Amino acid sequence: MSSTAGQRTRRPRPEAALSPPPPAPAEPSVPPSNASRSKPAEKRPFLLDFFPLEGPEHTKLYRFYDRLREGQLSTTRCRRDGELHWPPRTACPTCRSEDLEWVDLPERGHVYAFSAVLVGAPLGMENEVPFAVGLVDLDGVPLRVFGRIEGRPWSELRIGQTVRPEAYDIGDGRMFYRFRTVD
Amino acid sequence: MNARDVAVVGGATTKFGVRSATWAELVQEVGVALARAVPELRAEEVDSLFVGAAEPERFAFQSHVAPLAAEQLGLKPYRILQRTELACASGQSAIRSAYAAISSGLSDLAVVVGVEKMNIPSMAEANSSMGCVMDRPWDGPAGATAPPFFAMVAQRHMLEFGTTEEQMAAISEKNHRFANTNPTAQFHEKTFSREKLLRLPLVAPPLRLGDCSSMTDGAAAVVLTSDEQARRFSDTPAWIRGSGQYSDFHNLAHAGSLTDWRGLTRASREALGRAGIGVEDLDLAEVHDCFSISEIVEYEALGLCAKGEGGKFAADGRGDRGGDLVVNPRGGLLGCGHPLGATGVAQAVEVFQQFSAQVPAARQVPDPEWALVHNLSGSANVHSVMVYGRGRAA
Repeated sequence: MSSTAGQRTRRPRPEAALSPPPPAPAEPSVPPSNASRSKPAEKRPFLLDFFPLEGPEHTKLYRFYDRLREGQLSTTRCRRDGELHWPPRTACPTCRSEDLEWVDLPERGHVYAFSAVLVGAPLGMENEVPFAVGLVDLDGVPLRVFGRIEGRPWSELRIGQTVRPEAYDIGDGRMFYRFRTVD
Repeated sequence: MNARDVAVVGGATTKFGVRSATWAELVQEVGVALARAVPELRAEEVDSLFVGAAEPERFAFQSHVAPLAAEQLGLKPYRILQRTELACASGQSAIRSAYAAISSGLSDLAVVVGVEKMNIPSMAEANSSMGCVMDRPWDGPAGATAPPFFAMVAQRHMLEFGTTEEQMAAISEKNHRFANTNPTAQFHEKTFSREKLLRLPLVAPPLRLGDCSSMTDGAAAVVLTSDEQARRFSDTPAWIRGSGQYSDFHNLAHAGSLTDWRGLTRASREALGRAGIGVEDLDLAEVHDCFSISEIVEYEALGLCAKGEGGKFAADGRGDRGGDLVVNPRGGLLGCGHPLGATGVAQAVEVFQQFSAQVPAARQVPDPEWALVHNLSGSANVHSVMVYGRGRAA
């Protein structure tokens, strides 16, 4: 047992004083979602955060994040009953079909309601305070989407403000979406 | 076999607040309080324990909490031992489970404990725990926690119906005033005039600090039994007469107009219908004022007033002493604080103590016969309602 455990240690303590120190880890603590499966276990995220694990090894919806990487917000539509979903689904909640297709969402919407987080932000978002959030009705589709609203301070936002969805890299290779005001 | 009548026959709460005590210590503390409040209770005859706890995994890094709680309480349940989780309604869920178990005959005598430890060294970590109540991979990355969601409810209510900050402050002033009569309330010794409330800093506009319930540590416990044993414990049991729940969405994007809490209308009609009464028969209600705007929308969804009239109902004092009914005499979540799992159980304690005239005169509802308890959870996407009657089984 102990010898097996020893073989699995990736970075043994150097035995000679002149041994070079182990190189500093180059990878971010949270690897990109499309990271190779051969990554050693100790470099996986040690703590989950608010952002999804996006790669095909984690989610059936990986194409949603691939499309975000191309700058496009998309979702699923049921091929059987035509229902447009938000958020994207792997099975239609109405007819239970798993025969879904990806469709791009409109590039414009209007704010239905908004507020801002002035205090009490979750871990990792403390330095982003204050930030605006809101519900956005996308033009031409029966979908309302919740997200951050960037582009102007919350105090200058109004119900009905025109916004567009945008994709962004959260800093470790994973992608997410938010809205930006359009004048 | 016919369903049996079930009653709350006693209960107790710990002090709510920022407590220098762990999750398990809060459970021990409420066990002591329950033993004092219900001296007839013998540990060996408690056949079941139900523990309402929303997020012990995150706030106390502890799962498998039902047996842990049993050990803290000195109980050895031999029929049903379980923990219920329904975010802010976890406590009421535990009571509903005990009610079902006793009604069906699976249990004869059950203890329900609701508990939450929320104050931890990093408030950002605590806020993250509140955030994962939402549809985490979709709503979470935007920074969604309860305040911005209920702020949007307030914004739409103000836009659609002309509801004002002053009307929201009327709710907060009432509930903090009631909390002054309740030594277990987090804000027992603090007073808030409407003018002072309107000067407090914004948390999530238009909601100010006084519009928001707080992060609170605390525990509450009740004893439930059937009509066969209830009189052994109390001359004035609080009989569970109706129960209802409704949920039709989870993701924030599916919250509809924000101001129409159809789930509460459905759940309360179910519960009141089972009790055979109407909302006009209620003498008191313990409703889920996680935010001041919540109580305003709840007045409307319960049918206490017309849609859009909730702000006026508040400002006119119709939910206050001398009004149509007394809402949140305990002090509500705004005045007592909101230890998620404990809240629903503490509300049941209040109903029992109101029925048995054990509360201070300043908040005693005169001769109450009917009470309603409501909890919402998450983004008001689940509504849970129970109706209690003081009278003997119909």
